[in-house]
Amino acid sequence: MRESVVRGVGLTASLLYAAVVGWLYISQPQTVAHVTGGFASMVGAYEIDREAFDDGLRFFRRGQYVEARASFARADTAERDARTQFYIAYAYYRQGWGRLYNDDALFAQGLVAADKAIALAPNGRLVVDDIELQMRSADELRAELQRGLTREADDFNPLKVFRSRK
Amino acid sequence: MSALREAIVLPFLLLTVALLAGADIGTAVALVPPTVFSLVLATMLIVALVRSGAFDPARLMHGSRPPLANANGAIVLAALFAASAQLLAMLTPRSGLPLFFVDVLLFVLLLNTLVSEPDRVRLLRSLAVTLGSALVLKFVVLAAVSSPAGGRMSRVMIAVFDAATFGSITQEAHAPASGYLAFLATALFLVAVALLPPVAYPARRMELEARRRTELERVPDRSS
Repeated sequence: MRESVVRGVGLTASLLYAAVVGWLYISQPQTVAHVTGGFASMVGAYEIDREAFDDGLRFFRRGQYVEARASFARADTAERDARTQFYIAYAYYRQGWGRLYNDDALFAQGLVAADKAIALAPNGRLVVDDIELQMRSADELRAELQRGLTREADDFNPLKVFRSRK
Repeated sequence: MSALREAIVLPFLLLTVALLAGADIGTAVALVPPTVFSLVLATMLIVALVRSGAFDPARLMHGSRPPLANANGAIVLAALFAASAQLLAMLTPRSGLPLFFVDVLLFVLLLNTLVSEPDRVRLLRSLAVTLGSALVLKFVVLAAVSSPAGGRMSRVMIAVFDAATFGSITQEAHAPASGYLAFLATALFLVAVALLPPVAYPARRMELEARRRTELERVPDRSS
């Protein structure tokens, strides 16, 4: 009886441990916060820091994009919230946008964050209900960032200086 | 073998090795899956363990054992394969000539072990020497050659050495923790391999030794 208990407990623990090791290989977490956040989101217990998110939103609306990203990053330390990642991507877009040229480095980081937001959203569909934004879906934002990074003949069109930031 | 060792100790040790050996600490921590060649080497290593009698798979999975015990055995087998593959991948340099030579060396050493069929104790000693040497080569010798820090003379020597070998010797620099992690993973792996259930009655070896004893007895004692 005792032996079967040891074997049963051992089997369960080994399978759990193997699952954790497998998950770590697949998700490649970079910090302890990513690991704990990942486990919490697996069981549906992950929550962002509401206060930090609201701070980030305030900074974002004031055009303080670096501060906004710092607050958003603090709100979603495990990078598991699609909406927060969307705002981070949007902050990169707005900061990197230029009338004459875009900042490729910021756009590239924005693209990474947009991809993360899409990957985290259920079925990859993310629409943010924010009337102050011109692009409310992650797909639009991703396409805009992608366009900004692509070199094409249209980039040399002088009329582009009249375009507006979204 | 006790149920505790089979169901808890061995899976825990081997899965920990599989996790630690995959960790590549650079500017960020990445978990690198094993290469195809390290899977081949891991297979050869497990075959060598079985042939030497250091590991008897029938004591882990057999028709006469209860299903729960067989499930424990299957976990140990899978974990042993994963840990071996990850450890061998970890001990292999990442690029250039060292990668080629260490791969060839490990392949030849394991092939030689397979052919020579040493007994359990000799195989474990040989494994400790092989893995230890690979560890020293990658995390001590090559790490020192590839280290960006160092005196001016050291840097000049490395630059000359690197130029002479067309830049194929130096490796990507490791974080200081990598060597400690590799040492821990290697030590845990060796402990786990020593804890594997050996062949209870190595029939063929006993038979060979009995034959050798008989032959020795037949030889007349010339000293008298």
